[in-house]
Amino acid sequence: MSRTDIGPPYFKDMLPPVIKENYGRWKYHEILRPGVLRHVAESGAEIYSVRVGSARLMTVDRVREICDLADKYCDGYLRFTSRHNIEFLVSDKNKVEPLLRELKEKGWPVGGTGNSISNMIHTQGWIHCHTPATDGSGIVKAVMDDLYEYFVDMKLPAKLRIALACCLNMCGAVHCSDIAMVGIHRKPPVIEHDIVSKQCEIPTLIASCPTAAIRPNPKLKSVEVNEERCMYCGNCYTMCPGMKIADPENDGVAIFVGGKVSNARTPPMFSRLAIPYLPNNPPRWPEVTAAVRKLVEVWARNARQGERYGEWIERIGWERFFELAEIPFTDKHIDDFTFAIPTFRTAATFKW
Amino acid sequence: MAESRTPLLDELEKGPWPSFVTDMKKLAQRKPAVQDALGQLEMSYRDKKGHWKHGGIVGVRGYGGGVIGRYSDVGDVFPNVAEFHTMRVNQPSGWFYTTEKLRQLCDIWEAYGSGLTNFHGSTGDIILLGTVTQNLQPAFDALSEAGFDLGGSGSDLRTPSACVGPARCEWACIDTLDICHDLTNTFQDELHRPMWPYKFKLKIAGCPNDCVAAVARADLSVIGTWRDSIRIDREAVREYADGGLDVERAVVNRCPTGALSWNAEKKELGLKAEECNRCMHCINMMPKALCPGVERGATLLIGGKATILQTAFLSWVIVPFMKLEPPYEELKDLLRRIWEWWDENAKTRERVGELIYRKGMREFLRAVGLPPAPQMVFRPRANPYYFWWPEELEGNGHKEQG
Amino acid sequence: MAEAASEELKARVLEYLAKVDKAKSHDIAQALKEKKSLVDAAVRELAREDRVEFLYIGTSYVKLKGK
Repeated sequence: MSRTDIGPPYFKDMLPPVIKENYGRWKYHEILRPGVLRHVAESGAEIYSVRVGSARLMTVDRVREICDLADKYCDGYLRFTSRHNIEFLVSDKNKVEPLLRELKEKGWPVGGTGNSISNMIHTQGWIHCHTPATDGSGIVKAVMDDLYEYFVDMKLPAKLRIALACCLNMCGAVHCSDIAMVGIHRKPPVIEHDIVSKQCEIPTLIASCPTAAIRPNPKLKSVEVNEERCMYCGNCYTMCPGMKIADPENDGVAIFVGGKVSNARTPPMFSRLAIPYLPNNPPRWPEVTAAVRKLVEVWARNARQGERYGEWIERIGWERFFELAEIPFTDKHIDDFTFAIPTFRTAATFKW
Repeated sequence: MAESRTPLLDELEKGPWPSFVTDMKKLAQRKPAVQDALGQLEMSYRDKKGHWKHGGIVGVRGYGGGVIGRYSDVGDVFPNVAEFHTMRVNQPSGWFYTTEKLRQLCDIWEAYGSGLTNFHGSTGDIILLGTVTQNLQPAFDALSEAGFDLGGSGSDLRTPSACVGPARCEWACIDTLDICHDLTNTFQDELHRPMWPYKFKLKIAGCPNDCVAAVARADLSVIGTWRDSIRIDREAVREYADGGLDVERAVVNRCPTGALSWNAEKKELGLKAEECNRCMHCINMMPKALCPGVERGATLLIGGKATILQTAFLSWVIVPFMKLEPPYEELKDLLRRIWEWWDENAKTRERVGELIYRKGMREFLRAVGLPPAPQMVFRPRANPYYFWWPEELEGNGHKEQG
Repeated sequence: MAEAASEELKARVLEYLAKVDKAKSHDIAQALKEKKSLVDAAVRELAREDRVEFLYIGTSYVKLKGK
C-alpha cells in the first residue's frame, strides 16, 4: 500500500547551493540581455538565470533534453516560471555563454524578460479538453511564431502578457491579460435525444447547468434547453455526450485587451472586449495571428514608455482605441451581463 | 515518400517557436498512445472541434481528486487513446527541480502513461496527460515511492502555488515558498478529499507585482507587502541618473500618489513614506537603488475568480496587514474560519467571493471575526440602505432588518 | 489532521449512502443531524478505507464505492 498525503517534494531539496546559501538575502537583479538575468546577493554571490520559452505541452523526451542541458551547465538545477518558461539556473558565470550557444544551436528561444512578450499562458484545447471552442497549443504556436521577435527582444514600451483560454470557462485566468484570446461557442448545445435518453442520467444532467437552463422533456425521456438562459459553458456536455456544444461553423475566437495583475502604478484591471469573433482557421489561425500582431503594434506605436496596454487605453480613452486599432464598435462591446452598469459612461467628457 | 497522416499538424512544425508537433511525432514512434493522440488532434484540426468526453469515476485509492477522467469520442478509430486520463501532480513550491527528480517523473510517466506532460497546468500542478484506468493506481504508487503526491481537483482546496519568492527575488516580503509548502502539507485532507461546495484556490505572491496572478486567480490571495518606508540607496540612485535613466520622467512623475520628488541638481530622490501605497513602480524601475521596507508581512484578499458564472472578480482586501512567520497559525486559523462559513452557507458551486457578494461583506467579516477597515474599499457606499446589528440599537424592541 | 471519527457515525454515513445515489457531505450532515465537520471526518476515513469514493460533476459528491 503506497503512502498517501505526503505532500509535494520539499522545495529546499531542489535549490542550487548558491540559492540555499543566499535564501532571502538577495540584493538586486539586472537583465544582462533578453532572457538573461543576474541576481546578486548581499554576500556578493550571484546566480544567472537563462529564460527559455517552451511549448508547455512537452513529451518526456523533451523534458529529458532540458535535463541534459541543466546537468551540463547548471549542476542539475532548473525551474519553471508561472508563464511556462524554463529557467536554467547557472551558478558558474563561465557556463552562461556556452549554454546560450547550445540553446541557439538547438533552436530554443531565449527571452521573455523586461519589456518583451513572455510565454503565453494557455489551456489544453483540442489535445485534452472536453468543451473547447478552439485549440490551445496550435494557436499559441502560430501566435508565438509570429511574435517571436518580441519574445527574444525587449523593444516594447512595457511588458506584454498574452493568454489564451480555449472556451469561455476561462481556465487559465485570461481575464487579466494585456491581450487575451478566448475560444467562444455561439450557440446552445444541440440535443441528440437518442443519446440523452439512452446514456445519460437526467437529474444529474439538469443539475449540471449553472444557469438552470435545462428542463426535463418527459415525453422523449430527454431534456430541453431554455436558449435564452444558456451561456454556452458546456457543463452539460461534461455530463452527457448527447448535449453537443461543439459547432465547427460557429465556434471561434474573441480577443480581449487591457488587463493586468500587477499593482504597479494602477490597480489590477480586467481585460475588455476588443474583437468579438474571429473564425477558427487551423492549422495556423491567420486571422487571429494577424489581429494579435496588429493589436501589439498599435500599442507599441502609440503608448508612452513604460505604459501597459490597459494604462495606455485608459489614458487615451476606449473610443480612441477603437479608432486607432481600426476595430468596429458593435453592440457586443456594450455589456449586458450581470455587472454592466458601472461600464456605462456617465460624463459628457469624451473624445470624437 | 509516404503521404503524411497529419498534413495539417505538419504546418505547426514550421516557424521558430518550439513545436509540440515535432516533439510528439518523435515520441509517437515508440508510443502508440501518442500516435493516436496526434491522429485524433489532426481530426480535430480537420473537423474544427474537440473529440474528448468525460466519463465514469476514475481515481486512486483514498483520494477524491487529482485525476481527471477523459475518453475519446472516436475511440474506435484511435483505440490507444480511448481512455486518456490526466493526473495532476503537486509541484514543489516555486517550480524548482533537480534533474534527478524530473527524470524520475519522466521514467514513471513513460512506464505508466503516454509520456505527454504539461509544465505546468494553469493552477500550478505538473500535468501528466493520458493514461488508462488500470494504470492509475500503479502510476500513483510509483509517484508516491518517488516522493510525489497528487494535487487537487473537484470541490476541494486546489493545489496552492507561489512565486519564486526569497529563493531568487530581492522583493519577496514573505517566504512564499515555505508558506506554500507548509499550508499544502497542513491541508492535505482539504486538498485530496473534496468536501466543499466548490473549488478553493490559494496563491502566494511575495510582493505587489503579483507574479502568480494571485489577485485574479485565487479565492484567497496572499500578497507580500511592508508597513514602513521603502529603503533608498542614494548613491545607487545617482548611478541610475548618471547612467541615463530619466528619473524624473520615468520614475517620479509616474508615482501614483505623488510620494516621490526629484532634485535634479543634487540627483536626489525625495520620499514621503506616509504617502506611498507600495505599488512597486519605482522599485521595479531602479532595483539596485530601492527596495521594500523591513517591517514585512502580507495583505490578504478574498474572492478572486475567472468569469464563469456571474462575473470575474479580482480579490478584495480583507486583512490589510498580517505578519507571516512559521508556523503561520494566524493565517491557518483564518482559513479554517473562512472555510467553515463558506461551507455552511454556500450554495452548490458557489465560490467564496460569490457568497460574500450574495450575503454581504459585513456578514462575512463578522462570521470570521475581522474588523472593518478603510483599506478594504476604494470608496464607501453612496446609498443609505445599510443595516444595524441588534446590539447597536437602543432598547430591545428593534430586530435586525434584512 | 482532524480527530478520529466515531465508528458509529461512519456506519450511519454508509447506511445513508446506501439509500441514495450520491450526496454532498453537507446533505449527509443535515440528514443525520450531525455537525458537518464530524461527517467530513467520517467520510475522509471511509475514503481512506476505500469504502466511499468521490464523483465530480460540476461539484464533488460522495457515493458508496462501486455503487
